[in-house]
Amino acid sequence: MRNRHLIARVYLSLTLVLLYVPIFYLIYFSFSSGKNMNKFEHFTFAHYQTLFQDNRLLAIFLETILLALLSSLIATIIGTFGAIAISGMKKESHKKTTLALNNVLMVSPDVIIGASFLIFFTALGIGLNFGSVLLSHIAFSIPIVVLMVLPRLNEMDMSLIDAARDLGANSWQVFSNVLIPAIMPGIFSGMFMALTYSLDDFAVTFFVTGNGFSTLSVEIYSRARQGIDLEINALSTVMFLFVLILVGIYYFITTKKSRRKNHRVIGGLVK
Amino acid sequence: MDMDIIKLKHITKQYDDGFVALKDINLTIESGKFYSLLGPSGSGKSTILRIIAGFSQPTEGKVYFDGKDITDLDAAKRHINTVFQNYALFPHLNVFENVAFGLKIKKKPMNEIKPAVKDALHMVRLDGYANREISELSGGQQQRVAIARAIVNEPKVLLLDESLSALDKRLRKDMQFELRAIQKKLGITFIFVTHDQEEALSMSDEIFVLNDGKIQQSGSPVAIYDEPVNDFVARFIGDSNILPGRMIKDYEVEFANNKFKCADGGIKPNEKVEVVIRPEDLDIVDPEKGKLVVTAQTQLFLGDHFEIKAIDANENEWLIHSTNGVKLGQRIGLFFDPEDIHVMRLNESQEDFDARIEKYEGDENED
Amino acid sequence: MRTRKALFLIPYLLWIFLFVILPILLILWYSFTDSNRSFTLNNYVVFFRNGTFLRMMINSFWYAMLITLLTLVISYPAAYFLTKMKNQQLWLLLIILPTWINLLLKAYAFIGILGNNGLVNQFLHLFGIGPVNILFTDFAFIFVATYIEIPFMILPIFNAIKEINPAVIQASEDLGASRWQTFRYVLWPLSRPGVESGVQAIFIPSLSLFMLTRLIGGNRVITLGTAIEEYFMTTMNWNMGATIGVILIVLMVIVMLITSRKARRKKVDL
Repeated sequence: MRNRHLIARVYLSLTLVLLYVPIFYLIYFSFSSGKNMNKFEHFTFAHYQTLFQDNRLLAIFLETILLALLSSLIATIIGTFGAIAISGMKKESHKKTTLALNNVLMVSPDVIIGASFLIFFTALGIGLNFGSVLLSHIAFSIPIVVLMVLPRLNEMDMSLIDAARDLGANSWQVFSNVLIPAIMPGIFSGMFMALTYSLDDFAVTFFVTGNGFSTLSVEIYSRARQGIDLEINALSTVMFLFVLILVGIYYFITTKKSRRKNHRVIGGLVK
Repeated sequence: MDMDIIKLKHITKQYDDGFVALKDINLTIESGKFYSLLGPSGSGKSTILRIIAGFSQPTEGKVYFDGKDITDLDAAKRHINTVFQNYALFPHLNVFENVAFGLKIKKKPMNEIKPAVKDALHMVRLDGYANREISELSGGQQQRVAIARAIVNEPKVLLLDESLSALDKRLRKDMQFELRAIQKKLGITFIFVTHDQEEALSMSDEIFVLNDGKIQQSGSPVAIYDEPVNDFVARFIGDSNILPGRMIKDYEVEFANNKFKCADGGIKPNEKVEVVIRPEDLDIVDPEKGKLVVTAQTQLFLGDHFEIKAIDANENEWLIHSTNGVKLGQRIGLFFDPEDIHVMRLNESQEDFDARIEKYEGDENED
Repeated sequence: MRTRKALFLIPYLLWIFLFVILPILLILWYSFTDSNRSFTLNNYVVFFRNGTFLRMMINSFWYAMLITLLTLVISYPAAYFLTKMKNQQLWLLLIILPTWINLLLKAYAFIGILGNNGLVNQFLHLFGIGPVNILFTDFAFIFVATYIEIPFMILPIFNAIKEINPAVIQASEDLGASRWQTFRYVLWPLSRPGVESGVQAIFIPSLSLFMLTRLIGGNRVITLGTAIEEYFMTTMNWNMGATIGVILIVLMVIVMLITSRKARRKKVDL
């Protein structure tokens, strides 16, 4: 028994090492005064100085975050309404069809989504800029919000609504005081997923962004294609810390909220 | 031929968190009998089963099977099969595949597997169910599949872990009869873990009563019911009236401010004891004919008898089972025979109890 | 009540129409037209006549399969061991955390690690091997893609194994099964749903990892995903790009139908 546990521990540790080597490799060389990731020259903060003076990159960083917040907010509203509408559908066939359509973007490869959205925007004469990227991010975030909210609606005790009506609540009061609070955890995790989808996306943005607008992923891609630039390493460190803080906050909030359903919550961190 | 098939010697089990589940357990299982391990939850009964099955290793002590030490043998290699608490049927396999599992593992040819599975399904009265999915079966049917899956391997010992507890009361009664019948037919040893004393009493040849990781008493259902060695056993098995008392001399005991003739001996005069009288051993008579006079307080009709609670002059509460009802508030006499009084010494272990019985019965013979 | 239900539905239905149905129709329409917007089957003829495209198609699926298989082989034991750990939450968090680092950054890291003077070659040098040319090979592409997908395979399998009743594993042992037999006949079939969703979550996205083929795979067009990107962003032949896209969609649907088909059980006569 003990022996088996040892094997488990060693195997998992090796997996973790594999997962983290590239990240720490980047961070390690962000402090090197050299020009490549082969040999650590001298310790320096020079790349961080360059990074924080790089106004273009900083602007892109802020725009990426703005894009993520805006798109996830709008996607959450539309997706939540969609989920409420789906759960209210009487006919099982309508429900199934709508869900199937909902999931099309979930299973499609990013290149297809990107290419078809590009055709779509061009056909409708919509310019390729912040607007088109925002619309695309909203579009591919909606289905995940629906999928996160729908189970909550299905689990919900419908007698709650009857009880509220019985107590004299009007439709709006039922909606805002009973329904929304009951499905709030689903809405919250849906929005969180939408946020990570947006922050993480490269392929779709790559297709639908014009010359005027770029996200961090696209910018990293175009710089990485030109070779190694230790400023990107410095950016990695910053983003790693950023993610650590974000995950820490999320972990803190969710474990405080539902200690018993802990493992489900962690599972929710996956995009 | 050696009739003992399983022996546990000085088994102690301590879990990683320090909890001691079993304390120096010794027991012997003979082949071909129906045993029950009876006790409340946490008493260690399931731990004993897991150690016999091989799912759990004892911290100390040895397990012998057919005279061989199997303490470190894998569960897979023991000639013992288990019927699990919630059946643990393979949900991805149908009835036939579930029952055939053990034989397929042993690489038996299909023309041997089929008749064996057929026989096993017949034994549990599930003929014609071979192609059913597990999810289509009721709880009782799943229970039968679990039994068939175990007995098809022709184990020498079958372990049943709280196997009837998930069934409703009616089904449970039926299954008790059937289990007993299957055991008789197969002639193998059954070890049945339960917390339900009725179940244990009705099915077993022999019962081990467990509490606190120790065997409190072992013996036939009748012996355990009639002569509980301590108040745990007396309380756990059946309903009972337990009163503090004092031994006057052999065959005479004092309780409820009266002296009574009894059938127990070998205890020092004046020793403090506890006296057990089963509610069904109390007969209701006219007050003047009773050995004790009590006042009826409450009465419940339970279908086949009345359960009456009464109080005596010393405020002792008495539980009486009677086929006839009484009037509440009525003074009634209670009559019982000397053999109905069971005297228990405080903190007497079963070994001491057995030694005492042997000694004074021996004395009797010398007389 | 009715009107408000409609209000809920309108933006969502609008989304379904504009961003789900319309793009599919548009990409289909483009695949059947030429640059003058007149109907043609020529794009499909070119695709199936041209050996390069067919080879690319086979390559795409071959690589996607390799990536999926490799990921599965590494992830299954990890997921299984994870279910045995005491502080699962922490281990899980540590496995999920890297998925939060931008994919492009991780890909970029491998440019350094796999380079001729990078970590791997420095390591190989210790044994007197090398330098081996790893970067810009197909192997590098598969390796990095596997690296990126591992957490997405571990999680569904972990969840599936977690849901298996431990008594069922004991029942298997009790019936005489060895460790391998228990795995083969009980653990594996019962964890299949997790494996299936892991495979689906990896196989399809690995068809579209064009940025990896660009950065790590040596800027060559070796998969259908890269080809689509090439036609849309570089050569600007959207009609051909749309055609490849449609073919990719069709192949995907076929793969999904095959993997989700239920095996019929044969009945026994007793």
